[in-house]
Amino acid sequence: MKKLIVLAICTALYTSFVIFSLHKPSSVVSDDHMTDVGKLMPVKVKQVVKETELTSIKEVIEEAKREDLKVSIAGKRHSMGGHTYYHDSVVLDMTGYNKVLDFDKEKKTITVQSGITWDDIQQYINKHGLAIQVMQSQNIFTVGGSISVNAHGRDIRKGSLISTVNSFRLLTADGEIPTVSRKQNEELFYLALGGYGLFGVILDVELQLMDDELYEMTTEKLDYTEYSDYFREKVLDNQQAKMHLARISTAPDSFLTEMYVTNYELASEEGPLQEHDELRKERMTGISKFALGMARNFDWAKDVFWEIQKQYFLKANGDLISRNNVMRSESKFLEYEAENDNDVLQEYFVPVDKFTDYIDDLRDVLTAEELNLLNITVRYVNHEEGPVLSYSDEEMFALVLLINQGLSKKEQKKTGEIVRKMIDVTLTHGGRYYLPYMPYPTKEQMKRTYPRSEEFFEKKKQYDPDERFTNFFYEEYKQ
Amino acid sequence: MNDTRLKGLIISQSSVFFASSLIFPYYILFIKNVGSSFAQFGLSYGLFGLSSALLHPVIGRFSPLIDHRLFLVVNAWGMASVLLLFPHVGSISQVYAIQLLLGMFGAFQKHGEKIMIAEFTDGAERGMKIGNYHFWTSIFSAVAIMAGGYLADYFTIHFIFYMSSALYFGSGLVVMRINSNKSILVKKDKGYEMSTEK
Repeated sequence: MKKLIVLAICTALYTSFVIFSLHKPSSVVSDDHMTDVGKLMPVKVKQVVKETELTSIKEVIEEAKREDLKVSIAGKRHSMGGHTYYHDSVVLDMTGYNKVLDFDKEKKTITVQSGITWDDIQQYINKHGLAIQVMQSQNIFTVGGSISVNAHGRDIRKGSLISTVNSFRLLTADGEIPTVSRKQNEELFYLALGGYGLFGVILDVELQLMDDELYEMTTEKLDYTEYSDYFREKVLDNQQAKMHLARISTAPDSFLTEMYVTNYELASEEGPLQEHDELRKERMTGISKFALGMARNFDWAKDVFWEIQKQYFLKANGDLISRNNVMRSESKFLEYEAENDNDVLQEYFVPVDKFTDYIDDLRDVLTAEELNLLNITVRYVNHEEGPVLSYSDEEMFALVLLINQGLSKKEQKKTGEIVRKMIDVTLTHGGRYYLPYMPYPTKEQMKRTYPRSEEFFEKKKQYDPDERFTNFFYEEYKQ
Repeated sequence: MNDTRLKGLIISQSSVFFASSLIFPYYILFIKNVGSSFAQFGLSYGLFGLSSALLHPVIGRFSPLIDHRLFLVVNAWGMASVLLLFPHVGSISQVYAIQLLLGMFGAFQKHGEKIMIAEFTDGAERGMKIGNYHFWTSIFSAVAIMAGGYLADYFTIHFIFYMSSALYFGSGLVVMRINSNKSILVKKDKGYEMSTEK
C-alpha cells in the first residue's frame, strides 16, 4: 500500500514536470553568430540589439553612425538570403518593438509598432470582428519584415501588402523620422515597401483592416492544363471567391501534373460567423511533420505525402472557416532542425495565361536535374505597379517551392545552378522571381526581373550615402 | 528468484541505456549549440566526471544502509526530470549545472547496477549472466543510437529528450518491481521478503 502511494506521488510529480516543461516556451540560444532560417550563411556579427523603445532604437543608429558601423534590421529572420544581417554589423532585432499604438474600429485601421507579429494583431482585432486584408499565409512574421519584402497571401482581390499600408514612420540613416505615405514622402513609400531594410527602420505602421468574413472552402482536383481557364472562370470571375490556394504535385507519380485547388467563397448565410470566429491554435503537428520528414528522404514517401495531403483537403470540402483563421495556417510542422541540410524556399511569379507552358518547361528542367523538391503551392497576385521593386506588373500566379538542400558548399553550388535555370525558364515566360530567398540568381537575372533595380540602388545611395543600412542582399546585388 | 530479479534489472537497465543512448550523440550537438569554445565543451564534460567521482565514495559509504534499488530509482527518476529541463537550457552555465547533475545520477546508476548484479549472481554462472546483462543493455544502446537519428530528423531534438525522459521514468517503475534482498527502506512493510537479508 505504502509503495503504491509513493509510486502514485512520484508519477503525479513527474507528470506535472512534463506538462510544465512542454508548456514553458523553450529558450532561444543567442550568440554572436547570426543566420536566418535559410541557415546558408552563418556569420559573426558585432552585436544583436533588441530594443523596445524608440529612443533606444534611435541611439543605436546614432552610435552606429559615430563608430561607423553597419546596421542590419531583422524581424523574424525568415528571409533567407542574408537580408537581415551583415558581417560585423549591428543587428537591430525589432521583435521587442511590438505594441499596438492605436486602433480605430470605425475606420478599420490599426497602428502598430513594426516588430509586432500578424498573430498579435489577429489576437487584438478578432474580438472586434475585424481581419487583416493582406499578409502571408502564415502569421508568424513581423509587420515590418513583411512590409520590407512586400509580402502577399491567399487573398485574390486586394493585391500585395503595400495596398493595405496607409502610412508608416521611417527612421532614416540621418536620424530623421519622416512620415511616409502615398501623399507624404511618396518616393520613400515605394522604396521602403519592398525595400529589404535598406532605406531605414520602419517604426510604426498604420494598416487598413476589413471585416472578418465567413468562407466556405471548396476543394477540387484538376489537371495543370485546366488551371488557367479554371482560375479565370471559376475564381476570378466569381465575385463570391475571396481567397484561393492551389497545390501542384511534386510526387514522382504525378510530378507537376496533378493539382488540387482550394477556394474560399463567402458563405451564403451571414449569421454563423460568430460560431467560427474563435482563433484556431496550432494543432498537433507530429503526423504532418513525420510525413514531411519521410518525404525529404524517400520518393515513395513523396507519393504518400501527396495522397494524404490531397485527401485531407478534399475532405475539408464544404467546411466553414473565418478569414482570420484562413490567415493563420499551420507552420510549425515546417520547422526543421538538422545539421547538414535545410529546407529553403523559392518563389516564382508567372502570368496567369502562361501557366501551362511554364509548368511544361519547368518540368523539363527539373526532370533533368536532381532537386529535392518537397512541395509547391500556387497563389495569385494582382497587378501592382507601385513599389520600385514590384514583382507583379500583371496578373500572376505565384509558385512557392519548398526545397530540401544540403548546407555544404558543393550542395549549395548544385542548388544554385538549378535555381538559375529555373529563373531563366521563369523569365522566358514573362515571369519574375521573388527576392527574399537565397542569393543564387545572377546580377543579370536580377536586372531582367526588376527593371527598376538600378533606380532602386541609386536611390539607396542618395538616401543613405554611407550605406549605414546594409545586408548581404545589398552587397550581392548593388550595382 | 535471483533469475527473475536479474531479468527485472536487465529490463530496467536496458531501457536506461536505450534512453541515454537515444539522447547522447544529440546531446553533444546540443551542448555545441550552447557553448562556443572547446574549453567550455571540455569543462562541461570534466564537471560531469568530477561530480560523479566525488559522489562515488559517499554512495559507497551509505550503500550498506540503503535499499539498493534506490540507487537505480534515483538515477532513473532524476534523469527523467533533468531531461525535461533540456529544452529550456539557454546558457552555458545552465549546461554546467546540468552536467553536474548528470554526473551525480550517473554515479548512482553505476553503483546500483554493479551492486545489484553482484547480489543477483554468484558462483560459476556469474560470468555468463554478466555477459547476458551486457549483451542486452548494449543491444538497446545500439538500436537507440540509430533510432535517435531518425527521430531527431523526423520530429525534433526536443521530442527525443521527452521520449528519453519517459523511458527513464518507466525504467524507475520497473526497478521498483524488482524484489529486494535488502529492505532497509521498506523494512516495516510486511509485504516484502525480509529473509534474504545477507
